[in-house]
Amino acid sequence: MTSSIEDPFYLLEKWLKVKEFIVVGKSVRRADAIDKVTGKARFLEDYVVPNMLYAKPILSDVPHALLKGVVTDEALKIPKVIDVVTAKDIPGENQVGYALPDQPLFPEKKIRFHGEPLGLILAEEPEKALEAVKHVKVVYEELPALLDPLDAMRRTDVLVHDELGNNIAFRTKVRKGDVEVGFSKSDVIVENTYRTQHQEHVYLETEGALAIPEEQGRMTIISCAQYPHLAQAIVAKVLGVPRTKVRIVQPFIGGAFGGKDDIGPIVAAQAAVAAYKVGRPVMLIYSREDSIRSHPKREASIIKYKSGASRDGKLMAIEVEIIMDTGAYANRGPFILWRATMHASGPYEVPHAKVDGYCVYTNKVYQGSFRGFGNPDIQFAAEAQMDELARKLGMDPVEFRLKNVLKPGSYTITNQKLNHSVGVGEALRLVALKADWSRKYGEYGKGVGRFRRGIGVACAWHGISTSRGVPDWSNAIVKIEKDGSVHVFTGIVEMGQGSPTTSHIQIVSEVLGIPTDLINMYHGSSDAPDTGATHASRGTSIGAIGVLVAAAKLRERLNKLASEVLGCKPNDVVIKEGKAFPKDNPEKFVEWKELIKLAYERGVEMSATGYFFLPKGAFDHERGQGFAYPAFSYIVMIAEVEVDTETGMVRVLKVWPALAAGKIINPLAVEGQVEGAIAQGLGLAIMEKVEIGPRGEVLNPNLTDYVVPTTTDMPEVEKPIYVEDFFRYGPFGAKGVGEMALIPMPAAVANAVSHALGKRVTELPLTPERVYFMIKKG
Amino acid sequence: MVIYYLIPKVNYLRPKTKEECLKLINELRDFKVLAGGTDLVVDLKIGRFRVKNLVDISRLPELRFIKNEERQLRIGACVTLQELLESKVVKEKLPVLYEAIDSMASWQIRNLATIGGNLCNASPAADTAPPLYVLNAKLVLESVNGARVVNVEEFFLGPRKTALKPNEILTEIIIPYPQGKAGMKFIKLGRRTSFTLSVVAVAALVNVEDRVFKDVRIALNSVAPTPVRARSVESRLVGKEVSLSNIYEASKYVLNDIKPISDVRASAEYRREMSIVLTKDAIIGALNSIGITPS
Repeated sequence: MTSSIEDPFYLLEKWLKVKEFIVVGKSVRRADAIDKVTGKARFLEDYVVPNMLYAKPILSDVPHALLKGVVTDEALKIPKVIDVVTAKDIPGENQVGYALPDQPLFPEKKIRFHGEPLGLILAEEPEKALEAVKHVKVVYEELPALLDPLDAMRRTDVLVHDELGNNIAFRTKVRKGDVEVGFSKSDVIVENTYRTQHQEHVYLETEGALAIPEEQGRMTIISCAQYPHLAQAIVAKVLGVPRTKVRIVQPFIGGAFGGKDDIGPIVAAQAAVAAYKVGRPVMLIYSREDSIRSHPKREASIIKYKSGASRDGKLMAIEVEIIMDTGAYANRGPFILWRATMHASGPYEVPHAKVDGYCVYTNKVYQGSFRGFGNPDIQFAAEAQMDELARKLGMDPVEFRLKNVLKPGSYTITNQKLNHSVGVGEALRLVALKADWSRKYGEYGKGVGRFRRGIGVACAWHGISTSRGVPDWSNAIVKIEKDGSVHVFTGIVEMGQGSPTTSHIQIVSEVLGIPTDLINMYHGSSDAPDTGATHASRGTSIGAIGVLVAAAKLRERLNKLASEVLGCKPNDVVIKEGKAFPKDNPEKFVEWKELIKLAYERGVEMSATGYFFLPKGAFDHERGQGFAYPAFSYIVMIAEVEVDTETGMVRVLKVWPALAAGKIINPLAVEGQVEGAIAQGLGLAIMEKVEIGPRGEVLNPNLTDYVVPTTTDMPEVEKPIYVEDFFRYGPFGAKGVGEMALIPMPAAVANAVSHALGKRVTELPLTPERVYFMIKKG
Repeated sequence: MVIYYLIPKVNYLRPKTKEECLKLINELRDFKVLAGGTDLVVDLKIGRFRVKNLVDISRLPELRFIKNEERQLRIGACVTLQELLESKVVKEKLPVLYEAIDSMASWQIRNLATIGGNLCNASPAADTAPPLYVLNAKLVLESVNGARVVNVEEFFLGPRKTALKPNEILTEIIIPYPQGKAGMKFIKLGRRTSFTLSVVAVAALVNVEDRVFKDVRIALNSVAPTPVRARSVESRLVGKEVSLSNIYEASKYVLNDIKPISDVRASAEYRREMSIVLTKDAIIGALNSIGITPS
């Protein structure tokens, strides 16, 4: 009996059917708002412990070399400099590669990029550590460096990783139908090469960790990672200790955007190795320059894209080659490439598809996770192709997209049948009306005058959860204390997005029927059950399933208990505003506190876990066909721009987002995510680029030379349209939001600029200089 | 907790009066003058300068005034950019300076940064320089030996190099009010719309009589080792009729006055092209500001 009503599939479905909500769907204020505004919220830097040492990373200043030694005699002579930590001090395994085992925590034999951390200096005072690092001498024998991925792909005389025999870290493939047949049936064919650039995360708080050795060989690490259990695993691995000896605590994190999913655990491990060696707490914080020089960047891609369509506007075939410059290490590059590969069609049906992906090593700062994860680049290329096909067919770009857009029952590029939760067509129709698309598309783009307006549309999709059959799960512990207050334990972290401080609280509040202020979140700790990472837009979707399931289990128990007291059926018990009553008789109620007291008296367990393992399907890696994702979130973005043709300056005037991300749990939080993602996507579209010099060095490793948009660069952002296409396993049907609005931004802006100028944009960012010379070339 | 950067240990000296300050720096060796510090502190962090002593003049009362006189505006060197931005007289009488400051930095930085500091830092990208060039501003340089006055153009010698002698400080900026009905405009092109260094910025000042250019002054930054006047453009317009074709034609000659380099912000080629466009735009903008629309 208990087992069936506590089955997570049953519970998810039961709560998916709810029609009237108490707090879900409302703009509830986040629990951390006041503490953050008043400065009470604690970030890494606010944790200071006695006897703490300060660590400064030693970064390489050559792109490729055999490492012969790190000479520290002079540095160690400086008073209050305590020690130096390098590869030889790592007690466990010196291996931190995520997708491939190719990355040491600190290199032993070879330096692979300019800026690679070689070790740490430890001192009693931060100033001494900073001074000492200047006296470290790195002995090396320089090797020729590979900086161009196309060059690196062909070369075998210079190898970034010798044991591999070439410089191609990873390959992906999709083979659907027969592209030769598809192109032969096409009346129009478009072929272009697109290029995107490395983008820097510019999180307000740079990387850091405080490692504190404790009794019984334990280590507590206050870290800035997106996944406490992954940080725990990496630290345990490099220390060579069981995971139970490592405790990870994530304070509030000052922005992460995927960057800290990669680097967070690595920096935690660096600090841990140092603390382990000296037996004292070690605080490691990266300066902005060290941060930009050494942490992974958004993928830079070269995408060759050929598409064909029939005269009646049906997409027939695509042939795509994606080359990603992964830099010195694969890191999550292979996963990023998989995502780009399986999203290469855009959210459209295409009967014939051939995609080849290459993840290529070079001697540059490596590629990593960044909001969108390989998808903004490929949607930029795919959506440019859609516009060009429409132009050749003489069709309106929106009309052409509507003929091809995915709908329930469609088969994707990997031949996965989408059986539910496909709201992209509806989002496109609604947003085109709202933006007055037809009129503007007809009026703009006539190519006269200095200031030219253009309007562009881009659709995007983003698979929810890990791809293919890669396991994904959720979990949480919900505990109701004797006084009726509620503790929630989750591994999901708070890094600005607010899922544990808004939606999780709303979900528990909704399910238990109690006010939000009775709920206390304990988030971002390895003490909570492994909840998976706070990445891939999953904090409120997959990440909150555990919260919902655990709360729902307790609700079932309370319904049964209340039904006995109230004399009704368990499913007829309503709990609302802290009162339980039969649904047909609100006057006859029992107070929440009384109900909980009763539960404790009668032996009803008031704690529950919410484990849920996502069902997935089979995937054929040879042909890249099969089950890709349990569902997709969708977004459509329309952008209106004005281009100054004499300076090349692009101003994005207004954007219209339309989101099909299932149930919107907290509209205010979603608006925040949408606006933030638009700002970051705008930067990628028009101004941001990590510049690499001839020695593989980052030329703009500071915020004077690396520019991101300010508030005055922001367009007006129209209120998002929500198409609530419920996802059957999402909490209340929620899919993901965090990354969504960034993904179509480069595509929408590029299409708008192309419309304004009557010229196809194929390369980002659209800086004034690039646009100016694009116009001038004629 | 400041654990990111090493600010070298320095002796921090804060004289109470201008006189005390001048005496101090007359004797002192190996020092830098601290005004707002928004450039200097960053430069110390990155090691552009290594000095033993910092002499803080930011609170010297003698350097903090704005005096609106009959023919000129006198500004103490340590007046902050935000104070100038909020000054009614600057906005009304010297809109080209107002526009330049309005384009600079952020509110927080403008509250620290001083006009004197912006000049003495002698960055080729100093945004207060082009307006002061076209306004023919004079700078008062003082030492224990007394004061001397130099034209703002003579002050800039090269990147981070000024005409200041080791025992001198800049104390005052004197800006003569433009004669007659002068039109003015400042235009800055950066990599974003605010809070950024200029790729090219242009200030223009024009006087027109009977539809003929009587006086034209143009200055640019970020396109040479120092801010520069575009005299080749000016000389081609003075005495000419106000027309778009004359403005377009003359603006091309700005290339004779500039020597841009390529850096992480822009290429030399783009800077050359933009110098022409922005010069033309600034002249037209200056004309527009006095109700003239050239055709």
